[in-house]
Amino acid sequence: MDIDEFMQQFSTSKGVSNISKIRENIVKLDLTKEDSLNFFDSIKSDFEHCSLISAIDNQPDFELVYHFSCINQAIVVKDSDCAVMLEAHVYLKRDAPSIDSISNIWFGANWHEREAFDLMGIYFIGHPDLRRVLLPEGFAGHPLRKDYVYEIHEEEW
Amino acid sequence: MAEMWISMGPQHPMTHGLWTLKVKVDGETIVDADPELGYLHRSVEKMGERRKYFMNTTLTDRLCYASSTTWTHCYAHSVEELMEVEVPVRAQYIRTIMLELQRLASHLMWAGAYMPDLGHITGALYFWRDRELFLNLLELPSGSRLLYNFIRIGGVKRDLPNGFEEKTERILKLFEQRLDEYSDLFENSKIFRMRTDDVGKFTAEQAKNFGITGPNLRGCGTKFDLRKHDTYEIYEEIDWDISTREAGPGYSDCFSRYMVRIDEMKESVRIIRDCFKKMPAGATLASRVPVRAHGEAFRRTEDSRGEAMMYVVGDGSDRPYRWKIKSPMFTTMSACPHYLKGYKLADIPAIMGSIDICIGETDK
Repeated sequence: MDIDEFMQQFSTSKGVSNISKIRENIVKLDLTKEDSLNFFDSIKSDFEHCSLISAIDNQPDFELVYHFSCINQAIVVKDSDCAVMLEAHVYLKRDAPSIDSISNIWFGANWHEREAFDLMGIYFIGHPDLRRVLLPEGFAGHPLRKDYVYEIHEEEW
Repeated sequence: MAEMWISMGPQHPMTHGLWTLKVKVDGETIVDADPELGYLHRSVEKMGERRKYFMNTTLTDRLCYASSTTWTHCYAHSVEELMEVEVPVRAQYIRTIMLELQRLASHLMWAGAYMPDLGHITGALYFWRDRELFLNLLELPSGSRLLYNFIRIGGVKRDLPNGFEEKTERILKLFEQRLDEYSDLFENSKIFRMRTDDVGKFTAEQAKNFGITGPNLRGCGTKFDLRKHDTYEIYEEIDWDISTREAGPGYSDCFSRYMVRIDEMKESVRIIRDCFKKMPAGATLASRVPVRAHGEAFRRTEDSRGEAMMYVVGDGSDRPYRWKIKSPMFTTMSACPHYLKGYKLADIPAIMGSIDICIGETDK
Protein backbone atom coordinates (compact mmCIF):
# COMPACT_ATOMS: atom_id res chain seq x y z
CA MET A 1 0.00 0.00 0.00
CA ASP A 2 1.21 3.48 -0.80
CA ILE A 3 1.44 6.02 2.00
CA ASP A 4 -1.14 8.30 0.32
CA GLU A 5 -3.57 5.39 -0.01
CA PHE A 6 -3.09 4.67 3.66
CA MET A 7 -3.87 8.28 4.54
CA GLN A 8 -7.01 8.20 2.42
CA GLN A 9 -8.15 4.93 3.91
CA PHE A 10 -7.85 6.12 7.47
CA SER A 11 -8.90 9.75 7.03
CA THR A 12 -12.53 8.68 7.44
CA SER A 13 -11.92 6.35 10.41
CA LYS A 14 -13.86 7.09 13.53
CA GLY A 15 -12.08 9.50 15.84
CA VAL A 16 -9.33 10.46 13.38
CA SER A 17 -8.80 14.11 12.48
CA ASN A 18 -6.09 16.43 11.12
CA ILE A 19 -4.35 13.72 9.14
CA SER A 20 -1.24 15.08 7.43
CA LYS A 21 2.24 14.19 6.27
CA ILE A 22 5.04 15.84 8.24
CA ARG A 23 7.87 14.23 6.29
CA GLU A 24 7.67 12.10 3.19
CA ASN A 25 7.51 8.95 5.31
CA ILE A 26 5.71 10.18 8.41
CA VAL A 27 1.95 10.46 8.87
CA LYS A 28 0.64 12.52 11.72
CA LEU A 29 -2.92 12.45 13.02
CA ASP A 30 -5.05 13.37 16.00
CA LEU A 31 -7.15 10.76 17.72
CA THR A 32 -9.91 10.88 20.28
CA LYS A 33 -9.37 8.97 23.48
CA GLU A 34 -12.53 6.87 23.11
CA ASP A 35 -11.72 5.55 19.62
CA SER A 36 -7.98 5.06 20.15
CA LEU A 37 -8.08 1.34 20.91
CA ASN A 38 -10.21 0.51 17.87
CA PHE A 39 -7.95 2.55 15.65
CA PHE A 40 -4.76 1.00 16.98
CA ASP A 41 -6.27 -2.44 16.57
CA SER A 42 -6.97 -1.73 12.91
CA ILE A 43 -3.40 -0.66 12.10
CA LYS A 44 -1.56 -3.40 13.97
CA SER A 45 -0.97 -5.52 10.86
CA ASP A 46 0.66 -2.61 9.00
CA PHE A 47 2.67 -1.17 11.87
CA GLU A 48 4.12 -4.12 13.72
CA HIS A 49 6.50 -2.16 15.91
CA CYS A 50 5.56 0.35 18.59
CA SER A 51 8.51 2.74 18.74
CA LEU A 52 7.63 5.12 21.49
CA ILE A 53 4.88 6.47 23.71
CA SER A 54 5.62 9.97 25.02
CA ALA A 55 3.49 11.74 27.57
CA ILE A 56 3.54 15.52 27.59
CA ASP A 57 2.16 17.80 30.27
CA ASN A 58 0.67 20.66 28.27
CA GLN A 59 -0.78 22.42 31.31
CA PRO A 60 -3.55 21.97 32.05
CA ASP A 61 -4.11 18.93 29.83
CA PHE A 62 -2.01 15.94 28.93
CA GLU A 63 -1.02 14.80 25.50
CA LEU A 64 0.09 11.31 24.53
CA VAL A 65 2.16 10.86 21.39
CA TYR A 66 2.36 7.38 19.91
CA HIS A 67 4.97 6.47 17.33
CA PHE A 68 4.56 3.29 15.34
CA SER A 69 6.86 2.07 12.63
CA CYS A 70 6.37 -0.24 9.72
CA ILE A 71 9.23 -2.68 9.35
CA ASN A 72 7.95 -5.19 6.79
CA GLN A 73 7.25 -2.49 4.17
CA ALA A 74 3.49 -3.11 4.15
CA ILE A 75 3.19 0.63 3.53
CA VAL A 76 5.71 2.20 1.20
CA VAL A 77 6.84 5.60 0.01
CA LYS A 78 6.97 5.84 -3.76
CA ASP A 79 10.46 5.36 -5.27
CA SER A 80 12.12 4.99 -1.91
CA ASP A 81 12.76 2.26 0.64
CA CYS A 82 12.09 4.64 3.52
CA ALA A 83 10.28 3.01 6.45
CA VAL A 84 6.91 4.61 7.14
CA MET A 85 6.02 5.89 10.60
CA LEU A 86 2.77 6.94 12.19
CA GLU A 87 2.54 9.65 14.82
CA ALA A 88 -0.77 9.71 16.71
CA HIS A 89 -1.66 12.44 19.20
CA VAL A 90 -4.25 11.80 21.88
CA TYR A 91 -5.34 14.54 24.28
CA LEU A 92 -6.37 13.72 27.85
CA LYS A 93 -8.10 15.90 30.42
CA ARG A 94 -6.10 16.62 33.54
CA ASP A 95 -8.78 15.31 35.89
CA ALA A 96 -9.06 12.01 33.98
CA PRO A 97 -5.59 11.03 32.77
CA SER A 98 -6.47 7.53 31.62
CA ILE A 99 -6.58 5.70 28.31
CA ASP A 100 -6.94 2.13 27.09
CA SER A 101 -3.71 0.17 27.18
CA ILE A 102 -2.24 -1.13 23.93
CA SER A 103 0.27 -3.48 25.52
CA ASN A 104 -1.89 -6.45 24.59
CA ILE A 105 -1.52 -5.49 20.93
CA TRP A 106 2.17 -4.55 20.96
CA PHE A 107 4.16 -6.09 23.78
CA GLY A 108 6.80 -3.42 23.17
CA ALA A 109 4.36 -0.80 24.46
CA ASN A 110 4.25 -2.45 27.88
CA TRP A 111 7.18 -0.67 29.47
CA HIS A 112 6.56 2.59 27.63
CA GLU A 113 3.16 2.68 29.33
CA ARG A 114 4.69 1.81 32.66
CA GLU A 115 7.14 4.66 32.20
CA ALA A 116 4.38 7.13 31.29
CA PHE A 117 2.53 6.02 34.42
CA ASP A 118 5.65 6.28 36.53
CA LEU A 119 6.89 9.68 35.46
CA MET A 120 3.71 11.41 34.25
CA GLY A 121 0.89 9.65 36.09
CA ILE A 122 -1.12 8.48 33.09
CA TYR A 123 -3.29 5.43 33.87
CA PHE A 124 -3.53 2.73 31.23
CA ILE A 125 -6.74 0.75 31.54
CA GLY A 126 -6.25 -2.96 30.99
CA HIS A 127 -2.48 -2.90 31.40
CA PRO A 128 -1.35 -6.29 32.78
CA ASP A 129 1.22 -4.93 35.22
CA LEU A 130 0.99 -1.19 35.82
CA ARG A 131 3.79 -0.59 38.33
CA ARG A 132 6.53 2.02 38.56
CA VAL A 133 9.46 1.05 36.40
CA LEU A 134 12.24 3.59 36.94
CA LEU A 135 11.44 5.13 40.32
CA PRO A 136 11.29 3.08 43.53
CA GLU A 137 8.03 1.64 44.81
CA GLY A 138 6.43 4.06 47.25
CA PHE A 139 7.76 7.18 45.55
CA ALA A 140 5.18 9.93 45.82
CA GLY A 141 4.13 11.98 42.82
CA HIS A 142 5.03 11.96 39.15
CA PRO A 143 8.16 14.06 38.59
CA LEU A 144 7.79 14.90 34.89
CA ARG A 145 4.55 16.75 35.52
CA LYS A 146 5.12 20.48 35.32
CA ASP A 147 3.45 21.09 38.68
CA TYR A 148 5.66 18.60 40.51
CA VAL A 149 7.58 20.30 43.29
CA TYR A 150 10.89 18.61 43.92
CA GLU A 151 11.59 19.76 47.47
CA ILE A 152 8.36 18.50 48.99
CA HIS A 153 8.89 14.92 47.95
CA GLU A 154 12.58 14.80 48.62
CA GLU A 155 12.46 13.04 51.96
CA GLU A 156 9.50 10.78 51.47
CA TRP A 157 11.60 7.86 50.31
CA MET B 1 9.36 -29.72 42.16
CA ALA B 2 8.85 -26.54 44.13
CA GLU B 3 9.44 -23.34 42.21
CA MET B 4 11.44 -20.51 43.68
CA TRP B 5 12.57 -16.99 42.86
CA ILE B 6 16.28 -16.24 42.52
CA SER B 7 17.55 -12.69 42.42
CA MET B 8 20.43 -12.05 40.03
CA GLY B 9 21.81 -8.58 40.58
CA PRO B 10 22.19 -5.71 41.08
CA GLN B 11 25.71 -6.89 41.91
CA HIS B 12 26.07 -9.82 39.59
CA PRO B 13 28.74 -10.20 36.90
CA MET B 14 26.04 -11.01 34.34
CA THR B 15 24.21 -7.71 34.67
CA HIS B 16 26.68 -5.30 32.95
CA GLY B 17 25.41 -2.31 34.81
CA LEU B 18 23.06 -2.08 37.71
CA TRP B 19 19.81 -3.94 37.36
CA THR B 20 18.15 -6.95 38.92
CA LEU B 21 16.85 -9.95 37.13
CA LYS B 22 14.51 -12.00 39.25
CA VAL B 23 14.11 -15.46 37.83
CA LYS B 24 11.63 -18.10 38.87
CA VAL B 25 13.15 -21.53 38.49
CA ASP B 26 11.81 -25.02 38.59
CA GLY B 27 14.91 -27.02 39.35
CA GLU B 28 17.29 -25.46 36.85
CA THR B 29 14.70 -24.49 34.26
CA ILE B 30 13.52 -20.90 34.05
CA VAL B 31 9.73 -20.60 34.21
CA ASP B 32 9.37 -16.86 34.69
CA ALA B 33 11.48 -13.73 34.98
CA ASP B 34 11.02 -10.17 36.14
CA PRO B 35 13.63 -7.55 35.25
CA GLU B 36 13.86 -4.57 37.58
CA LEU B 37 15.34 -1.23 36.64
CA GLY B 38 15.93 2.14 38.18
CA TYR B 39 19.26 1.78 39.96
CA LEU B 40 20.87 4.18 37.50
CA HIS B 41 17.94 6.51 36.91
CA ARG B 42 19.26 10.08 36.71
CA SER B 43 16.11 11.68 35.27
CA VAL B 44 17.94 12.93 32.19
CA GLU B 45 14.66 14.06 30.62
CA LYS B 46 13.82 16.27 33.59
CA MET B 47 17.35 17.66 33.80
CA GLY B 48 17.19 18.45 30.10
CA GLU B 49 14.12 20.62 30.59
CA ARG B 50 16.14 22.93 32.84
CA ARG B 51 19.09 23.31 30.51
CA LYS B 52 19.45 25.19 27.26
CA TYR B 53 19.39 23.20 24.05
CA PHE B 54 23.13 23.32 23.44
CA MET B 55 23.94 22.34 27.04
CA ASN B 56 22.18 19.02 26.76
CA THR B 57 24.87 17.46 24.58
CA THR B 58 26.89 16.79 27.72
CA LEU B 59 23.93 14.93 29.22
CA THR B 60 23.33 12.82 26.13
CA ASP B 61 26.98 11.79 26.15
CA ARG B 62 26.33 10.19 29.50
CA LEU B 63 23.30 8.21 28.35
CA CYS B 64 25.44 5.32 27.22
CA TYR B 65 29.03 5.10 28.32
CA ALA B 66 29.87 2.58 25.61
CA SER B 67 28.37 4.50 22.74
CA SER B 68 28.15 8.16 23.65
CA THR B 69 28.62 9.72 20.21
CA THR B 70 25.57 8.00 18.75
CA TRP B 71 23.35 9.40 21.48
CA THR B 72 24.68 12.93 21.21
CA HIS B 73 24.20 12.66 17.49
CA CYS B 74 20.60 11.50 17.91
CA TYR B 75 19.92 14.52 20.11
CA ALA B 76 21.67 16.99 17.83
CA HIS B 77 19.87 15.53 14.84
CA SER B 78 16.41 15.86 16.44
CA VAL B 79 17.08 19.41 17.58
CA GLU B 80 18.34 20.32 14.11
CA GLU B 81 15.08 18.99 12.74
CA LEU B 82 13.20 21.14 15.25
CA MET B 83 15.25 24.27 14.55
CA GLU B 84 15.52 23.58 10.82
CA VAL B 85 19.29 23.85 10.80
CA GLU B 86 21.23 22.76 7.71
CA VAL B 87 24.40 20.87 8.60
CA PRO B 88 27.39 21.46 6.28
CA VAL B 89 28.31 18.47 4.11
CA ARG B 90 31.79 18.08 5.54
CA ALA B 91 30.35 17.99 9.05
CA GLN B 92 28.01 15.23 7.96
CA TYR B 93 30.95 13.18 6.72
CA ILE B 94 32.90 13.76 9.92
CA ARG B 95 29.83 12.76 11.93
CA THR B 96 29.45 9.56 9.95
CA ILE B 97 33.10 8.66 10.51
CA MET B 98 32.77 9.34 14.23
CA LEU B 99 29.52 7.37 14.45
CA GLU B 100 31.04 4.35 12.77
CA LEU B 101 34.20 4.50 14.86
CA GLN B 102 31.92 4.63 17.88
CA ARG B 103 29.92 1.68 16.61
CA LEU B 104 33.15 -0.30 16.26
CA ALA B 105 34.24 0.66 19.77
CA SER B 106 30.80 -0.20 21.15
CA HIS B 107 30.57 -3.58 19.44
CA LEU B 108 34.10 -4.42 20.58
CA MET B 109 33.17 -3.41 24.11
CA TRP B 110 30.17 -5.72 23.87
CA ALA B 111 32.18 -8.61 22.45
CA GLY B 112 34.78 -8.12 25.14
CA ALA B 113 32.11 -8.19 27.83
CA TYR B 114 30.32 -11.17 26.30
CA MET B 115 33.34 -13.47 26.29
CA PRO B 116 33.89 -13.55 30.08
CA ASP B 117 30.14 -14.14 30.43
CA LEU B 118 30.81 -17.40 28.65
CA GLY B 119 33.96 -18.10 30.65
CA HIS B 120 36.38 -16.95 27.95
CA ILE B 121 38.65 -14.37 29.61
CA THR B 122 41.12 -14.29 26.73
CA GLY B 123 38.37 -13.05 24.44
CA ALA B 124 37.81 -10.05 26.68
CA LEU B 125 41.47 -9.10 26.52
CA TYR B 126 41.63 -9.51 22.75
CA PHE B 127 38.55 -7.45 22.00
CA TRP B 128 39.37 -4.73 24.49
CA ARG B 129 42.89 -4.51 23.07
CA ASP B 130 41.27 -3.61 19.76
CA ARG B 131 38.77 -1.26 21.33
CA GLU B 132 41.76 0.66 22.69
CA LEU B 133 42.87 1.37 19.12
CA PHE B 134 39.52 2.92 18.28
CA LEU B 135 39.42 4.90 21.50
CA ASN B 136 42.79 6.33 20.50
CA LEU B 137 41.30 7.30 17.16
CA LEU B 138 38.23 8.90 18.74
CA GLU B 139 40.51 10.80 21.09
CA LEU B 140 42.36 12.53 18.27
CA PRO B 141 39.59 14.88 17.10
CA SER B 142 37.59 15.10 20.34
CA GLY B 143 40.27 15.13 23.02
CA SER B 144 38.66 12.59 25.32
CA ARG B 145 38.40 8.85 25.46
CA LEU B 146 34.94 8.01 26.74
CA LEU B 147 32.58 10.98 26.69
CA TYR B 148 33.47 12.97 23.61
CA ASN B 149 30.98 15.85 23.43
CA PHE B 150 32.16 16.20 19.85
CA ILE B 151 28.90 16.51 17.96
CA ARG B 152 27.22 19.88 18.30
CA ILE B 153 23.86 21.17 17.16
CA GLY B 154 24.60 22.30 13.62
CA GLY B 155 27.79 20.34 13.03
CA VAL B 156 30.82 19.11 14.89
CA LYS B 157 33.19 20.71 17.39
CA ARG B 158 36.21 20.90 15.11
CA ASP B 159 37.67 19.52 11.92
CA LEU B 160 39.60 16.26 11.83
CA PRO B 161 43.29 16.68 12.76
CA ASN B 162 46.12 16.29 10.23
CA GLY B 163 47.07 12.73 9.47
CA PHE B 164 43.82 11.31 10.82
CA GLU B 165 43.02 9.46 7.63
CA GLU B 166 46.42 7.70 7.52
CA LYS B 167 46.22 6.71 11.17
CA THR B 168 42.69 5.39 10.71
CA GLU B 169 43.65 3.42 7.64
CA ARG B 170 46.58 1.82 9.47
CA ILE B 171 44.34 0.76 12.34
CA LEU B 172 41.56 -0.49 10.06
CA LYS B 173 44.04 -2.67 8.18
CA LEU B 174 45.29 -4.19 11.41
CA PHE B 175 41.75 -4.62 12.68
CA GLU B 176 40.65 -6.53 9.58
CA GLN B 177 43.44 -9.04 10.10
CA ARG B 178 42.44 -9.42 13.71
CA LEU B 179 38.81 -10.08 12.77
CA ASP B 180 39.95 -13.03 10.66
CA GLU B 181 41.89 -14.32 13.65
CA TYR B 182 38.80 -14.02 15.81
CA SER B 183 36.65 -16.00 13.43
CA ASP B 184 39.13 -18.87 13.86
CA LEU B 185 39.18 -18.38 17.58
CA PHE B 186 35.47 -18.07 18.29
CA GLU B 187 33.29 -19.16 15.39
CA ASN B 188 35.20 -22.41 15.05
CA SER B 189 35.44 -22.98 18.77
CA LYS B 190 33.32 -25.90 19.86
CA ILE B 191 32.92 -24.59 23.40
CA PHE B 192 31.76 -21.17 22.21
CA ARG B 193 29.28 -22.76 19.82
CA MET B 194 27.91 -25.07 22.52
CA ARG B 195 27.12 -22.09 24.73
CA THR B 196 25.53 -20.00 21.98
CA ASP B 197 23.93 -22.24 19.34
CA ASP B 198 20.16 -22.63 19.75
CA VAL B 199 20.16 -20.65 22.99
CA GLY B 200 17.89 -17.64 23.54
CA LYS B 201 15.82 -18.06 20.42
CA PHE B 202 13.13 -15.66 19.23
CA THR B 203 11.51 -15.21 15.86
CA ALA B 204 11.44 -12.06 13.75
CA GLU B 205 7.67 -11.67 14.32
CA GLN B 206 8.13 -11.89 18.07
CA ALA B 207 11.06 -9.49 17.94
CA LYS B 208 9.05 -6.80 16.13
CA ASN B 209 6.15 -7.15 18.54
CA PHE B 210 8.44 -7.09 21.57
CA GLY B 211 10.02 -3.88 20.31
CA ILE B 212 13.41 -5.45 19.66
CA THR B 213 15.42 -3.53 17.06
CA GLY B 214 18.94 -3.18 15.78
CA PRO B 215 21.44 -6.04 15.61
CA ASN B 216 19.10 -8.27 17.64
CA LEU B 217 16.40 -7.93 14.96
CA ARG B 218 18.87 -8.28 12.11
CA GLY B 219 20.04 -11.47 13.80
CA CYS B 220 16.60 -12.90 12.90
CA GLY B 221 17.26 -12.26 9.22
CA THR B 222 15.14 -9.09 9.00
CA LYS B 223 16.75 -6.55 6.72
CA PHE B 224 15.98 -3.39 8.63
CA ASP B 225 18.53 -0.72 9.35
CA LEU B 226 17.58 2.90 9.92
CA ARG B 227 20.76 4.05 8.26
CA LYS B 228 19.12 2.82 5.05
CA HIS B 229 15.42 2.85 5.89
CA ASP B 230 15.16 6.30 7.50
CA THR B 231 18.39 7.58 6.15
CA TYR B 232 20.29 10.44 7.78
CA GLU B 233 23.62 12.24 7.33
CA ILE B 234 25.28 10.87 4.18
CA TYR B 235 24.63 7.14 4.55
CA GLU B 236 22.70 7.27 1.26
CA GLU B 237 25.77 8.17 -0.74
CA ILE B 238 28.02 5.62 0.89
CA ASP B 239 28.53 2.16 -0.52
CA TRP B 240 27.57 -0.40 2.12
CA ASP B 241 25.13 -3.24 2.82
CA ILE B 242 22.89 -4.18 5.71
CA SER B 243 24.31 -7.25 7.41
CA THR B 244 21.84 -9.90 8.49
CA ARG B 245 22.18 -13.37 9.89
CA GLU B 246 19.74 -15.98 10.99
CA ALA B 247 20.02 -19.12 13.04
CA GLY B 248 17.21 -20.80 11.11
CA PRO B 249 14.32 -19.59 8.98
CA GLY B 250 13.25 -16.30 10.61
CA TYR B 251 14.67 -16.73 14.08
CA SER B 252 17.82 -15.80 15.92
CA ASP B 253 19.93 -17.35 18.63
CA CYS B 254 22.91 -16.07 20.60
CA PHE B 255 25.32 -17.10 17.88
CA SER B 256 23.49 -15.30 15.06
CA ARG B 257 23.35 -12.18 17.19
CA TYR B 258 27.09 -12.46 17.76
CA MET B 259 27.75 -12.93 14.06
CA VAL B 260 25.60 -10.03 12.94
CA ARG B 261 27.69 -7.69 15.09
CA ILE B 262 30.93 -9.05 13.67
CA ASP B 263 29.52 -8.48 10.16
CA GLU B 264 28.44 -5.00 11.13
CA MET B 265 31.95 -4.16 12.21
CA LYS B 266 33.19 -5.16 8.76
CA GLU B 267 30.57 -2.91 7.19
CA SER B 268 31.58 -0.03 9.47
CA VAL B 269 35.14 -0.38 8.21
CA ARG B 270 33.79 -0.11 4.66
CA ILE B 271 31.74 2.98 5.50
CA ILE B 272 34.69 4.76 7.12
CA ARG B 273 36.93 4.07 4.11
CA ASP B 274 34.28 5.29 1.69
CA CYS B 275 33.70 8.44 3.75
CA PHE B 276 37.37 9.39 3.54
CA LYS B 277 37.27 8.85 -0.20
CA LYS B 278 34.22 11.08 -0.77
CA MET B 279 34.70 13.72 1.90
CA PRO B 280 34.67 17.30 0.53
CA ALA B 281 36.34 20.34 2.05
CA GLY B 282 34.24 23.01 3.74
CA ALA B 283 32.82 24.27 6.99
CA THR B 284 32.24 21.97 9.96
CA LEU B 285 29.60 23.98 11.80
CA ALA B 286 26.48 25.72 10.53
CA SER B 287 27.05 29.46 10.38
CA ARG B 288 23.91 30.29 12.31
CA VAL B 289 22.26 28.08 14.92
CA PRO B 290 19.12 29.42 16.63
CA VAL B 291 18.95 29.46 20.41
CA ARG B 292 15.16 29.22 20.70
CA ALA B 293 12.81 26.73 19.12
CA HIS B 294 9.10 26.27 18.75
CA GLY B 295 7.16 23.21 17.69
CA GLU B 296 7.88 19.52 17.88
CA ALA B 297 10.18 17.20 16.04
CA PHE B 298 11.69 13.78 16.29
CA ARG B 299 14.39 11.82 14.53
CA ARG B 300 15.43 8.25 14.91
CA THR B 301 18.88 6.91 14.29
CA GLU B 302 20.51 3.52 14.27
CA ASP B 303 22.31 3.32 17.56
CA SER B 304 24.80 0.51 18.17
CA ARG B 305 22.00 -1.28 20.02
CA GLY B 306 18.95 -0.51 17.91
CA GLU B 307 16.49 2.23 17.17
CA ALA B 308 17.35 5.38 19.12
CA MET B 309 14.82 8.14 18.96
CA MET B 310 14.34 11.53 20.52
CA TYR B 311 11.15 13.53 20.53
CA VAL B 312 11.67 17.19 21.35
CA VAL B 313 8.95 19.75 22.02
CA GLY B 314 9.89 23.41 22.13
CA ASP B 315 7.66 26.20 23.48
CA GLY B 316 9.58 29.11 22.00
CA SER B 317 12.06 29.46 24.85
CA ASP B 318 15.72 28.43 24.84
CA ARG B 319 15.07 25.22 26.75
CA PRO B 320 13.20 22.11 25.61
CA TYR B 321 9.66 21.98 26.99
CA ARG B 322 9.62 18.21 26.81
CA TRP B 323 12.36 15.90 25.72
CA LYS B 324 11.61 12.21 25.39
CA ILE B 325 14.28 9.60 24.86
CA LYS B 326 13.58 6.23 23.32
CA SER B 327 16.15 3.68 24.32
CA PRO B 328 16.28 0.47 22.29
CA MET B 329 17.43 -1.57 25.28
CA PHE B 330 14.48 -0.48 27.41
CA THR B 331 12.01 -2.44 25.29
CA THR B 332 14.41 -5.27 24.52
CA MET B 333 14.86 -5.88 28.22
CA SER B 334 11.16 -5.69 28.93
CA ALA B 335 10.68 -8.76 26.76
CA CYS B 336 13.34 -10.83 28.51
CA PRO B 337 10.84 -13.12 30.32
CA HIS B 338 9.71 -14.29 26.88
CA TYR B 339 13.07 -15.30 25.55
CA LEU B 340 14.46 -16.62 28.83
CA LYS B 341 11.61 -19.01 29.50
CA GLY B 342 12.45 -22.68 29.06
CA TYR B 343 16.24 -22.30 29.22
CA LYS B 344 18.52 -23.28 32.07
CA LEU B 345 19.77 -20.95 34.76
CA ALA B 346 23.31 -21.23 33.37
CA ASP B 347 22.10 -19.90 29.99
CA ILE B 348 21.11 -16.52 31.43
CA PRO B 349 24.58 -14.91 31.05
CA ALA B 350 24.77 -16.20 27.47
CA ILE B 351 21.30 -14.88 26.55
CA MET B 352 21.34 -11.55 28.37
CA GLY B 353 24.90 -10.92 27.24
CA SER B 354 24.00 -11.52 23.62
CA ILE B 355 21.42 -8.72 23.48
CA ASP B 356 24.06 -6.11 24.46
CA ILE B 357 22.61 -4.37 27.48
CA CYS B 358 23.54 -0.81 28.33
CA ILE B 359 21.90 0.32 31.54
CA GLY B 360 22.88 3.97 31.15
CA GLU B 361 20.45 4.54 28.30
CA THR B 362 17.85 2.12 29.64
CA ASP B 363 17.49 3.89 32.97
CA LYS B 364 17.93 7.35 31.48
